This record gives sequence, structure tokens and C-alpha cells, in this order.
Amino acid sequence: MRIGAAKQSYEADAALFDTRTQRVWAGLLVLGLCAFPFVADEYWLYLACLIAINVASACGLNILTGYTGLVSLGQAAFMGLGAYTVAVMELRLGTPFAVNLLSGGLVAMAGGVVVGLPSLRVKGLYLAIATIAASVLAHFLFSNLKLTGGTTGLSLPPARFFGTALDTSFRIYWLIVPLAGLMLLGASNLFRTRIGRAFIAIRDRDISAEVLGIPLLRYKLMSFGLSSFYAGVAGGLWAYFFRVVTPESFPLLMSIFFLAAIIVGGMGTILGCILGAVFMTLVPELLKLVIGWLPLTTNATLILSPVRTIVFGALIVGFLIFEPHGLAEMWRRVRRYFHLWPFRT
Amino acid sequence: MSIPRRSLLSVALAAAALASGQPAFAQAEDIVLGGSIPMTGVFAFAGIGVNAGIQDYVKIVNDAGGIKGRKLRYVPEDTGYKVDASVAAFKKITGQNKVNLYYGDSTGFAKTINPELERSGQILMAGASFATEINDPKKYPYQFLVGPDYTEMIGILLKHIAKVKPGAKVAFVYSDSEFGRDPIDESRTGAKKLGLNVAVEIMTPPGSVDVSGEVIKLRRADPDFTIFHGYVLAPIPEFVIQAKKLGMKSQFMGTFWTMDNSMVMKMGEAADGFMGVMPFRYYYDTEGKSPMLEKIRALHPNEYQSAPYMQGFLTAMLMTEAAKRTLDAGKPLDGKNLKAALNTIKNYDTGGIIGTPITIKGNSIPVGRIYRADVKQQKMLPASDWITLE
Amino acid sequence: MSGFDWLFFFEISLAGLGSGGLLALAGLALVIIYKATRVVNLAIGEMLMISAYLFFAMASSMGLPVWLAIVGTIVASGAFGALIERTMLRPMLGESPISTFMVTVGLSSILVGLVELVWTADPRRLPEFMPTDPVLLGEAMVAPKVFYGFVVTAALIALVLLVFRFWRGGVALRATASDQAAAYSMGINVPRVFSLAWTVAAMIAAVAGIVVGAVGGISSAMGVFGLSVLVVVIVGGLDSVLGALVGGVLVGLVEAWAGAYLGGEFKVIATFSLLLLVLVVRPYGLFGTHDIERL
Repeated sequence: MRIGAAKQSYEADAALFDTRTQRVWAGLLVLGLCAFPFVADEYWLYLACLIAINVASACGLNILTGYTGLVSLGQAAFMGLGAYTVAVMELRLGTPFAVNLLSGGLVAMAGGVVVGLPSLRVKGLYLAIATIAASVLAHFLFSNLKLTGGTTGLSLPPARFFGTALDTSFRIYWLIVPLAGLMLLGASNLFRTRIGRAFIAIRDRDISAEVLGIPLLRYKLMSFGLSSFYAGVAGGLWAYFFRVVTPESFPLLMSIFFLAAIIVGGMGTILGCILGAVFMTLVPELLKLVIGWLPLTTNATLILSPVRTIVFGALIVGFLIFEPHGLAEMWRRVRRYFHLWPFRT
Repeated sequence: MSIPRRSLLSVALAAAALASGQPAFAQAEDIVLGGSIPMTGVFAFAGIGVNAGIQDYVKIVNDAGGIKGRKLRYVPEDTGYKVDASVAAFKKITGQNKVNLYYGDSTGFAKTINPELERSGQILMAGASFATEINDPKKYPYQFLVGPDYTEMIGILLKHIAKVKPGAKVAFVYSDSEFGRDPIDESRTGAKKLGLNVAVEIMTPPGSVDVSGEVIKLRRADPDFTIFHGYVLAPIPEFVIQAKKLGMKSQFMGTFWTMDNSMVMKMGEAADGFMGVMPFRYYYDTEGKSPMLEKIRALHPNEYQSAPYMQGFLTAMLMTEAAKRTLDAGKPLDGKNLKAALNTIKNYDTGGIIGTPITIKGNSIPVGRIYRADVKQQKMLPASDWITLE
Repeated sequence: MSGFDWLFFFEISLAGLGSGGLLALAGLALVIIYKATRVVNLAIGEMLMISAYLFFAMASSMGLPVWLAIVGTIVASGAFGALIERTMLRPMLGESPISTFMVTVGLSSILVGLVELVWTADPRRLPEFMPTDPVLLGEAMVAPKVFYGFVVTAALIALVLLVFRFWRGGVALRATASDQAAAYSMGINVPRVFSLAWTVAAMIAAVAGIVVGAVGGISSAMGVFGLSVLVVVIVGGLDSVLGALVGGVLVGLVEAWAGAYLGGEFKVIATFSLLLLVLVVRPYGLFGTHDIERL
């Protein structure tokens, strides 16, 4: 049973991994992630890369919705902006992937700031609907501009790292996973700083936050910008992973997927967005297995897709009604039980 | 509707095939035909048909001893017509089996997986897509279309129009999607070359409910022929019904995916006179000697098999032929050899699936025939000869 | 071009009015729910879809006569609406509006999946039950379904407006909408009012669903209609019945004009540009009430 850890300096108190057990577990996780590609087959590597991209994007949405309280249904549009930027730059300029990813993030950030402007006038639900409008506008631009290849989209060559093409899941894993990890670390750090605390204050009561001296518009735009930067980089990684970008790649449904991921995982915590993204990406695979095992031989494959849709919706509704703080809260309960054992929680 | 019962049977077969594919690593002797099949989702009607067609042909091949003694094994996965599900299925099937032949469910998937096909070089792929872009042997060396591409389809329709009514006014009505937009630019130039006048081009947003605005536009242009492309069923019936009631005298035509008999007849009265280009024969066609059609009818007596079934059946047939020719030449089964073998197919008799011998020079089979719907007989009947484009 | 083609413009505008009427009807359902429960129901498109499929099941598969199928659909939809309210929305009482909004998003997925499970994702057509000859207004021809759909919409909206003014239930609904606590203390059974709101809204959505299905066929992707409806109520004001009508007509006209003069791909953009414009100029909609937030 862990009673507590005595901190003797402010830095120690604010540290991300504050106990030795946490640091040991974190180290083991890193080792596990490094060893994973050598033991996993093609299919699981593919899933791992996809999960990492989703985690990065969910993290971005979490900054905006979980920590600042601004519901956004435009995450997919920002990912699309990042993906298209990367595709266009790779195809026309041939610049190295780091530059492309950064530019993708910056273009998406610009988009995010523009979309965030209505937040001066409207809030809550109306803002969410304004982000839907942004999503639609982005889709329109992607489908009709010559630059973005219209409805055919763009195919891009794989990223090159000092000569080797990152064209297999094994190789691109080493780009995507560390980058996602860095982004997560960045987000955790953000909430130890003044800016992060300002975001949380805005979420709790924005009028009070303004009274306390936090310039609302500036911080709201910053939140939009940061979250769309994350989305843009995630979108760029997506482009390098799938190597084809079309307007249909980033539908409104994808934004709903990410919102569902952070709701299911737990809004407002980094652990929540990781758990949520992992869970929501793996649920379809799990369903496939479960339906394969059930003794419904004739209808099995036919009902998979509708059941997947129903389960998706049911998860959202279920978590909102029964566990509003998501998987992270369930995890914390389990941990608390073990920390305080043999005392009751 | 008889389709659900048939699909139950085929899905049972698919599930059994899947279950039998489970032992993680395949026997080296089998030739594997993998498939990302849209058995659910918006294209489910087509996916179920394609799946049944491939399964039946695989059964026919294996009953006759396989391909040079090696069994042909079909391993499908459902994708719901979504590109990432298709890619995931591809990775799963190729990770668990040694795959040499693959059926893809969409244009998006075909384009996404192309770099992977080029990298591995082991697989010859065809699919449900007839996209013009894929009809490019240089860019898509390991893929082919099982029929004419969409531009060629509309080209066949335009050729027929130019013959029947030179200088006619033509309208294009298409959906705002990659599927819909694909052939329009080239078809516009093609129409001009044939001396036809493109009176109006109308694009409908996907999922649009009310098309009365578009019908008014169409009526304004007063075309002699209206070509629909990019739809499976809706909103064609609405268009045709409203247009006929408003007194339009245009002939209505469609491309492959709208030409299935059961789909057209769903239009009710408005279906009468609906025309289109079909690269394959219909299930009930008894013209001439068609041993394969006879076999299909024997497998499914009195049960209509859809146009997508024919497409899947023919895909399996052509892939089998390519594999056979590769093995006959003593070459190993890889993408390059399979494609080269496919391109040696000259004046090949498909056993009646296509009504004329076919030659596969590049990536497509630019052959088709105009059919017209006869509501009284509830059948699509031929309205032209087999047309082959150069 | 010799002068502006007025007849074409008139015909397009009529078509726009017709589709606007359908949008207004669905918008009315949304407004009723919002007025009573403060919940924005994103699943309105899917509720429309379920009603359309129920009608299909009754009229086609079970072979009931059309008028019976219509009545049956309306009743069944009303019951379904009450069921949804009881199971999914009641537990969310007191939660933030964003959470309830997300519940309706989840609901829309569940409904789509249900429809695909029972009826597959194939698009289908409803049996014809409306007169099929085009209606002539002067020289302009209007598609019959659109015309009769508009007539039904106008009648229904007039009915609802009257009901809200004079029937006790309607008054109770308005009371709960303006101040829940006061309504409770006046003896109004607030949870019962919530159920009533959802039931009535579902019934209105059922009528809209039948008409929309008759016009364009039914499919599991029909729910995307709900996005346009959302625009309608934002433009008109989330809690204004009149706003739903005006917003619906406005959006319908804008869509029709954009489609006719700019091209099909501009329809959705035009609608959402209108939305953005209204959000910037009058955030609470043309007729909505401004919520004053108090600390």
C-alpha cells in the first residue's frame, strides 16, 4: 500500500512521473514499444501505427474539448488540412518529411485559428455547429481545388529518412510512435504551465476566467490553434502512412470518432485520450473476433458492419450515461483499490 | 425478394471459407485469391453478388482439378466499402496467406494499395472499380479492370447515340463523388468528337433527397439522351419519373452499376425504355452457345444472378486463366508474370459471359453492349451488337 | 442571354419552397424538443429515417393500406420517441448540454446500425401513394410530391402553432421551456412534459420522414438530411417555431438557387455559408431568444 510520497521541492511536486514505481512502469512501456515491431506481424504493426496516429489526434482534440471545454466537430477537417499540405509539398517541392509535417501542422493551426474566431460570438453547441460548417467547407475545398487533385485526391511517395524509404509498417512505426509520444509529452507539460491552467479555467467558467484577467479570445484561439496543430501533424502522418489522400478520407464521421474516443477515454486527462483512442480503434477488431466465435454461422459476416455501427453509438451513449469520466476513471478506481488495500476505498 | 436467401447461402459459404482459412499459415500448394469485399454498407448489393460469383467460379475450377493440380482458395473479408477497412483486410489476408490474386472493393482502395502492390510485386489485382485512372498500365502495372472503364462505357453509349441520331443533344447527370466525376471530362471531349452536343451537365450532391431543381434544369436543356453515372439506384427513378411526367422526351441511359436487372425493375413503370451499357450477359440470356451461362443456371436454377455476380465470376475466370498461362510457361506466380500472362489473352472465349471473344491489351476490356429495359417482360433486352472500342 | 429567365427562376423557387417545407417540418420537431428540454437532437435525421422504414415495413412488407400505414407509423414513432426519451435522455437530466448533444450523436449511430441490421444498406423506394401528375401554377410546373409535401407541412405547422397557444399541454410545454423550476412549483409534471415533447416531435418527424422517403427513396444514409435541418433551426432560432418555418423556407430557397445557378456541388456550401453568416450576425438565430448567462 502506497501512503504517499513526500515532496521537497516545487519541481518535484509538479513532475510528470513523480514516484519511482511510475518511472519504472514508464521505462518498461518504452522498452515494450521498442521491442513490439520485432515480434509483431504485419497486421498488428499496421494497427499499432493507426492507433498511434489516432492517439496523437485525440490528444489534440482533448486539449480543445477536454481541457478548454470548446466542443469541436472539425478535427477531421484539420487532419485533412495537414494531410493535404504534406501531400502537396511532398509531390511538388520534395522537401524532407520533417519540414512537411511541421508545415502541415502550421497550416492546420492557421485553419484552426480561423475556425475559432466565431468563438468570440458564440459558445457551446453553436460553436460545435460552426465547426461542422468548417468541416463541410474543408471538404468542399478539397474536392474542388486543382491543387488538391479534386475528387481523385493525391498519391504521394513514401517519406525518406536519409535515403531509406519508409514504406512498410515496420519502418514507419519508428516515425509515428515516437512522434506521438512526443506530442503526448508536450500536452502533459502544457497543463503544468500557466497557459494550461488558463484553458482549464476557461472550461470551468469562462466569464469568471475573464474576470480573473485571462483574455478570453486570445486563449481560446490559442487552444484552437494548438489542437489543430496536433491534428495537422497527425494528418500528415496519416498521409505518409496511407500514401493516398482524398476528400473522402476525412469525413465528419471521423470527427465524431475522435470526440467519441475522448469521451469514452475520459475528457480532460492525457491517460483518457490514450485509452480512448486505443479502445475505439480496437473495438472493430474485437467485434470481428467475437462475431466469428458466436454460433451464428450463416449471418456472421453480414451483420458485422451494422453491429459495429450500433456498438459505436451504444458505447458513446453508455459511457455518457454510466461513466461520464470514461475509461480513465475506471482505471483510477482500480488503481485506488490496490493503493488503499487492505483499507476499503 | 430472393436475394436475401441466396446471400445467406453465399455468406454461409464465405464464413465456411473464412473458417477454413483460419489455420494461420496456408499450405504452399494452394493458389490464394484474397478479397476485400463490400458485403455490407452502401455497396452491399454489389458485394454480395461479386462474392457469390467468385465463389462459384472457384468451385467450378476446383471441381475440374484446380489450376494445374493446385487448389484455388478464396479468402474474403467484409469491408463495408470503407477504404481503411479494405486496407486492414488486405494486410490481414496477405499476412496470413501467400496471396497471388486479389479482388479490391473500390477505386479508393485500388489507388491506396497500388504502392504496396508494386513493392511486394507478388499480386495481380482486379476489383469493383472501373475508374479511368486505373486503366493505365504504366501507373497501375499490377491491376486490371474487368470490363471497360467508365469513360469507355460512356464512349460506347455515345457511339451508339451518334449512330442512332447524329448530332443529338446529350445530358450528363452524375453524382458528386470520385465514382461520379471520373469519366465526365473525357466524355465531354469524346462527345464533341462524335459531333454530339452536350446540352447540360448536372451534378447532384451525394445523399440529396429532392432532385426537383435538377429535373427542372434538365427539362430546360431538353436533351435527346440523358446519361446517368455514379449511382446505384437513387436518384435515377425520381429523375426519370418526374421527367417523364413533365413531358420530357429524352431517352435515359446508365453505366454498368445501374444496369442490374433487379435494380432497374425496381424503378417500376419508369424503367420502361431505360438503356445502358453492359459488358456482360444477363443470367437469363439464352442467345447462342454460352456454356458458362449454362453452368451458372445449373448452379442456381430459377434464381436470378445479378450483374455484380457476373463481374465477380468473370474476374475469377480471367485470374485463373492468367495463373494457368503463367504456370504453363514455367514461370513463378508473381505480379509481373501474371500481368504479362493476362495480356496474352487474345480472342479469348469467356464461355458466354461476354458475348464476343475478348482481348486484354492493356488494363481494361473495352467491350460492351447496349441493353434496353422491357418492363412487360421484366427483362433487359439487347438493343445493339457487341461494340468493341479501340 | 436575352433577359432573365423568370419562368425558370419561378420553377426553381417553387422547388426550393417545397424542399424548404420539408426542412421546416423536421426543424419543427427539433424546435419542440429544444423548447421543452433544452436538448439539441442531432439524431433528428435518423428518427426521420426510422419512421420512413417503419412506413415501408407496414405498407410494403406487411401490405397494409396506405392510410393505415401512415397512422401506424405515426403512432409507432411517437412511442419510439417516448422510449428514447425515457431510456437515454432522462438519465442525462442536469448534465451539461454538450453531453446530451453527444448522446444524440450516439443515438444516431445506433439507429443507423439498427436499420442496416434489419433492412440492409440497400436503398429502396416507397410504394407510390401520392398523385403523380405535375401541378401547374400558371405556366410553371411543380413536381407533385413536392407540392403535396409542402401542403402537408404548412397544415401541420399551422396546427402546431394553434396547439401551443390554446391546448393545456402546449402551454405546459412553453412553461417548462421558459423556467423549469417555476413550472414544477406550478404543479406541472415536468418529466411528463419531456416525454410529451419527444413523442410529439417524433410524430412530426414521422410525417416528414414519410414525405422525404416518398420524394427521394429510403436508405440508411438518409440521416444526413439532419445536418441541413440543424442549419435551419440555427438560422431560425433554436426555440422558435416560426423560426423553423422561416429558416426552412430560406434554406430551401438558398439550396435550390445555388444548385440551379452555381452547380450541384455548391448546394451544401451555400447552406453552410448562410449558417456562418447568421452565426456571426445574429448568433441566436433570426427569431431565437438570447440566453443571458448569469454567474
